[in-house]
Amino acid sequence: MNNNVIDQSKDITILELLDRVLNKGVILTGDIVISVADIDLVYLGVKLLLSSVETMDQLKSGTKKAE
Amino acid sequence: MAMLIYAVLQTKPGSGNLNTIPEDIKGIREELVYAVPFKEITAVVGNINETNVIPDKLDVIAYAGVIEKLLQKYTLLPMRFGSKMESNEAIKNMLENNYTEFQKNLQKVENKVEFGLKIFCDAEKLKQDLLKKSEVKEVSPPHKSIESKNSVFTDYINKKLKEHRYEEMLLRYVETVITEITDCLSSLSTDSRFTKMTSAKQLIDSVFLLEKEKDPLLIENIQTLQKKHPGLNFILTGPWPPYSFVELTLK
Repeated sequence: MNNNVIDQSKDITILELLDRVLNKGVILTGDIVISVADIDLVYLGVKLLLSSVETMDQLKSGTKKAE
Repeated sequence: MAMLIYAVLQTKPGSGNLNTIPEDIKGIREELVYAVPFKEITAVVGNINETNVIPDKLDVIAYAGVIEKLLQKYTLLPMRFGSKMESNEAIKNMLENNYTEFQKNLQKVENKVEFGLKIFCDAEKLKQDLLKKSEVKEVSPPHKSIESKNSVFTDYINKKLKEHRYEEMLLRYVETVITEITDCLSSLSTDSRFTKMTSAKQLIDSVFLLEKEKDPLLIENIQTLQKKHPGLNFILTGPWPPYSFVELTLK
């Protein structure tokens, strides 16, 4: 396993950033989330991250190349 | 046209309202950002034309960039991407109606940043290691004469029992690691959140809130823990604006 805990990977940083910006922070309730083709953007964010978080470990350990 | 809200800032007592945002801070698609103040808090907003905007990853990154730049100068509460209101007046009313809650949250995160720590494992290897340590005793058939009849049943019971014991062992192991992290960071972190076993490979997903200048100590402590657990993969990211420590849903 990699002993470098402070990750310098751009891909991991972007995943972590997307997770925070799309799923956390102050929430405004009501009809205030920007949508894409009637699909809630927050849902898109969650879906994206569910598949991405599993690749995070592979990205760090170098077993998967960033797309 | 609508107003996209990036963050709500705290302006220091005595400094009055913040009416202008530094010029080097641009919004998504290079749009101007500006301040909508109320007493000692200020919303940072930008115009957005919804009909032309299909938000993509670059917009989200640009949005986060605005918040990062603001964090260097102010204590702030980041808004979730996509938060918009119809007018400056509506934003001012929102600030006024939630003023006490905004101040309470701002005080909690004043001069602090967030770090994220995810811990991954090789699930199969960890399973083998934990099972080896436990020396699980399998259930013996009740009587030799009915051994053959019950072998399928016994195998099934043994398998289920083993799985159940493994899950218990894994949970205990994860709780031990969390206790180690908590003990190690107790003098640094003012708040933390842990989520256990979010997937077979991801054992722990955690976030910590700590004062800005304590970054190096946190990194040092996590490195020590990583060395103690060479079979685990620690991924530390930060410093982030305090996204995970905002407890505010506006109506």
